[in-house]
Amino acid sequence: MPNQPILRYPHPVLKKLCNRVENIDTTILSLVDDLLDTMHAGPGSVGVAAPQIGVTLRVCVVDVSANRHGKDNNYGQLCMINPEIIARDGSAIMREGCMSVPDYTGDVERATAITVNFSEPDGTLREIAASGFEAVAIQHEMDHLDGILFLDRIVSIKTGLFRRKSYA
Amino acid sequence: MTQQPETLHYAVSVVGKDRTGIVAGIAEVLFRLGCNIADSSCTMLAGEFAMILIVSHPRPFSKTRLHDELKPACEGLGMSLSVRSLHADEAVRQETSDEICMISVYGADQPGIVYRVTRELAALGINIMDLNTKLIGTAEEPVYVMMLEAAIPEGQTPEGLEALLGDLKRELSVEIGVRIVTPVAF
Repeated sequence: MPNQPILRYPHPVLKKLCNRVENIDTTILSLVDDLLDTMHAGPGSVGVAAPQIGVTLRVCVVDVSANRHGKDNNYGQLCMINPEIIARDGSAIMREGCMSVPDYTGDVERATAITVNFSEPDGTLREIAASGFEAVAIQHEMDHLDGILFLDRIVSIKTGLFRRKSYA
Repeated sequence: MTQQPETLHYAVSVVGKDRTGIVAGIAEVLFRLGCNIADSSCTMLAGEFAMILIVSHPRPFSKTRLHDELKPACEGLGMSLSVRSLHADEAVRQETSDEICMISVYGADQPGIVYRVTRELAALGINIMDLNTKLIGTAEEPVYVMMLEAAIPEGQTPEGLEALLGDLKRELSVEIGVRIVTPVAF
């Protein structure tokens, strides 16, 4: 399947709560292929979630292995159906952008380590413990499945350092 | 935002003692005039509130009109006002494919920190995109903090830049750190 155009906000699908996948049938397998093709077509893309190509199902793909931040610590290509974060630990701020919200970036706080379970396209249940950049990428993509954009999570407009002083 | 080539842009700056309602007061005038606020940055500096806005209007619109309409609102709020017309080619989105770095400079307060560091960066062809400074510490031991975001040219590394700033760091006895903050697009 060809890669699909990435929907951009304000497309309403990007703010929808996505539905669980009940059966992994050929439609779902072809959705996974589309997501992979779309991810590989985007320069430097490390993940795509189903709503970004217009499908409100809980499916996303992540692959940070070619990214400088993720190349030394990753599970390779992940195709995640019905992913759930069952544990999270730590916190770090990273400046994020999103193909669905071009021309804007912001500092977002994410867990630095997460345990995620999900179904593989072949139906196998899998649990992984991701950390660092890969954990951030997974959290960003999984947010899409809940209609959450990074804009909903921005924690500072650059000058957080300078909040405290009173001039009274 | 797609701009028509003939769209007129103005750089508007408004500065004055902070109080509630400044942004609302200015934004109300602009809204009433049918102006768009394109990019803007507003912040509190000491007890002053400073607004810098790039304002556009879809139809021919004079700078004098914009100034005259904003003036009463600014006077009512005790703010200074400045309006400048931008040429069409000035009001384009600035893209950079360079690496973006946060450069932090801090140390005992002394004259010339901003000047010396930014002069050095300019000489190295480094473009500053954002800069904040703050005087912190105590009256006895004032500390100056400068944070700036800059695009470093291709081929430059944060480590390389830090090394190039090493002499200045020793001369001024300040800490200078450089790290990449280039956003990651998911």
